[in-house]
Amino acid sequence: MSAGNGSGRSWGFFAVAMLTGVVALSFGFGFVLLPKYQGTQGPYSAKDSLYHALGLHTHGKELGSVQPPLKVPTYIVWTDATIRQAMGGDAKRGEFIALNCNACHVEQAKSTEPWIPILAGLDRLVTYKQLDDFRSGTRLSGPMSAIAQSLTPQDYADVAAYYASQPGMPENTGERMPHSHRTYRNPDPLQRLIFAGDPKRGIAACASCHGPGGYLIGAPALTNQNAAYLGQQLQAFAQGTRANDMNMPMRTIARLLTPEEMKSLASAYAKGLAELQ
Amino acid sequence: MERSRLLSLAHLWAAFLCFLPATGLGLWQLLMRSPLPVPVDDPNAYYASLTAHGSIMAYVFPTLFIMGFGYAIAVSALGRPLRGENWAWAGFVLCVVGSLMALAPIAGGRSSILYTFYPPMVGNVWYYLGVAVVIIGSYFWVALMLINFAAWKRENPGKPVPLAMFAITTCALLWGWTALGATSEVVFQILPVSLGWRHTIDAGLARTLFSMTLHAIVYFWLIPAYVAFYTLMPQAAGGRLYSDTMGRIAFVLFLVFSIPVGMHHLFMDPEHGSGFKFVHSLLTFIVALPTLLTVFTITATLEIAGRARGGKGLLGWIRALPWNEPMVLSVALALLLLAPGGFGGLINMSYAMNAMIHNTSWVTAHFHLIFGGVVVIMYMAIGYELWPRLTGRPLITKRAACVQLWLWFWGMLIMTVPWHIAGLMGQPRRYAIFDYTDPGVAKMAWLDILSVVGGVILVCSAALFFYVLARSSLASAAESISPIRYALAVNPPARVHPLLNGFMFWNVLLLALVLITYGYPVGQFFFLHNQDAPEHSLTREMKR
Repeated sequence: MSAGNGSGRSWGFFAVAMLTGVVALSFGFGFVLLPKYQGTQGPYSAKDSLYHALGLHTHGKELGSVQPPLKVPTYIVWTDATIRQAMGGDAKRGEFIALNCNACHVEQAKSTEPWIPILAGLDRLVTYKQLDDFRSGTRLSGPMSAIAQSLTPQDYADVAAYYASQPGMPENTGERMPHSHRTYRNPDPLQRLIFAGDPKRGIAACASCHGPGGYLIGAPALTNQNAAYLGQQLQAFAQGTRANDMNMPMRTIARLLTPEEMKSLASAYAKGLAELQ
Repeated sequence: MERSRLLSLAHLWAAFLCFLPATGLGLWQLLMRSPLPVPVDDPNAYYASLTAHGSIMAYVFPTLFIMGFGYAIAVSALGRPLRGENWAWAGFVLCVVGSLMALAPIAGGRSSILYTFYPPMVGNVWYYLGVAVVIIGSYFWVALMLINFAAWKRENPGKPVPLAMFAITTCALLWGWTALGATSEVVFQILPVSLGWRHTIDAGLARTLFSMTLHAIVYFWLIPAYVAFYTLMPQAAGGRLYSDTMGRIAFVLFLVFSIPVGMHHLFMDPEHGSGFKFVHSLLTFIVALPTLLTVFTITATLEIAGRARGGKGLLGWIRALPWNEPMVLSVALALLLLAPGGFGGLINMSYAMNAMIHNTSWVTAHFHLIFGGVVVIMYMAIGYELWPRLTGRPLITKRAACVQLWLWFWGMLIMTVPWHIAGLMGQPRRYAIFDYTDPGVAKMAWLDILSVVGGVILVCSAALFFYVLARSSLASAAESISPIRYALAVNPPARVHPLLNGFMFWNVLLLALVLITYGYPVGQFFFLHNQDAPEHSLTREMKR
């Protein structure tokens, strides 16, 4: 199986040598020459550049840059452990705890006071996060802060499980069945806002996180929610008095909405979007 | 032999049966993104359609086609019945079942995660299981190609393995290696989340593993086209292959350099340092070499054929070529599409220039031009070449086939050139809808409408392709159909260098190169970062 001229080994050697050369060249450029060149530009030292080449990010610490003060919109991080805890509540136990809630959120949790939100059918992760935000003070409400501080995280999960099991607001399944006119081709500005957003103002579509048609972890379903509550929350986000939205999507969007838009969005969702479908 | 013909035919039919509706989905997606009216204008439907279009065009269609073509080569080039034919059928059944498993949740709108998975987005578990079953089915093919290759070599010691078989085995090996990246992503990262065992996923690691597959899969698609360039076209043109050795070198280079370049898909990803990005960028330029070798060899081969047919002068040989032969025509059209496609690729792989076109329509246009253009036009030509041999019926008609290939060529150009320009103007990719009342977007409207025109031509071409194959299958059997004959080189090799007649040496080089270029980028996730992101289940799959 030799090549006949005894050059089998030498061609193999040649191939390995060429490959080694190419690899050495690319590493030399990537890890020595470029970092060195970058080291002479701007504030980076040679060591920073080598760290950069290896992906050992220093997040500006090495550069001595001023770190902005930390603002925490919420202490909930959706780690595996948090999701497990929030999903693992006991609805029976939650029902017992919820006896206290029903004074305001009324029996069966279908509140009639329009500024108090409906909790029945609310997603477990949503209830859990809001309770924790009330506890930590990242969402402000006199009564709710006091109540949340008297409960444990396990209680949050149990209450969340109970309300999720109640019939009320429809579950946000992120329903994916196609409907026509959910794009900018729709002549109705309100429907455009809900289903397609308004990129000219940097507004994402409501439906892409709150349904129908989309689901985002921690974002509540809004269909059939009380209109006054929804309108109030949009205003609170716009004014920054509510600021527990991670990465501030709601504060950003609400600021861009006109008062009329807030009102019509709130009432459209409260009516269950029935007339929009 | 009869059963093995049926085997190839079943693969090709299944591939083309998926292909036709997927082109229709593509056209609808173009319409959605354009300012023109469109039925069922729902962004969710767009993403479901995009997932189906991508999954079919990237996984199901090429894999089934290449498997069928591979079996045809193994039988005809080696001149012996296929070893392990029952296993081949089993692989085929797995691929079909896997495809249906994957497509059902997409059709139900429960897996609109786009075909490249994009964790932390997570879709229905059946989608991933389906893709995994397709990959398992394709591994049957990989094993059979290697077994048949080795068996022939054992029986013919010292003889050069026919170039077509050598090349398609390279293709099988490349797929065997490269599919490991996406497979480990799906098995170890996505499936546990999709099954509800975990709720977070390290998206950076997932993207890195996927990049091991994402670029080399393009060469897995491309090699069969190059097989046709080297071994089918010279015969059809009435000449001989310029160099057999050049072909072997090109295929071996593809095997070694296709995988350790994948991080050029991650230039903008923050989880990697600039060093390895540069290494992969430079190595990607090496992958351009086998393509340049091929363009040279194939042009020389065409010239040999043209001169043998009496062509004179500097360019007279071009006129003398048989342009009514689908195989010859398609090679020329493919090379014409390869020029702008390859040029665009050089921009994508350049570490700095990539920033200009990152996540714009340019990228989508680029891979449509390369895969939809160069590769698919050659698959069509291979289909025309194989059909009479597999069905025993003549092609009806070669003229219709040539018209179809021309339509595909022009459709692809008209679709992708404006698409590239829109990308340069900043049009983002993966967007379902654009607000054309925005002046910044409105100036791209005419480009998107032109792309739709290209799309219409492509769908017509795909339908014509399908019609020609169906019509030929129903024709009365021909009295005699010449078997597939592979091109002879100008100097046919009596023996070839052992390094160009086997793969062990190149496998070792490839493994070393992958460890050097991916060892740290993958390994760092286990000791440097902890970047698990919460799953983003697009539909509510978690139990309440």
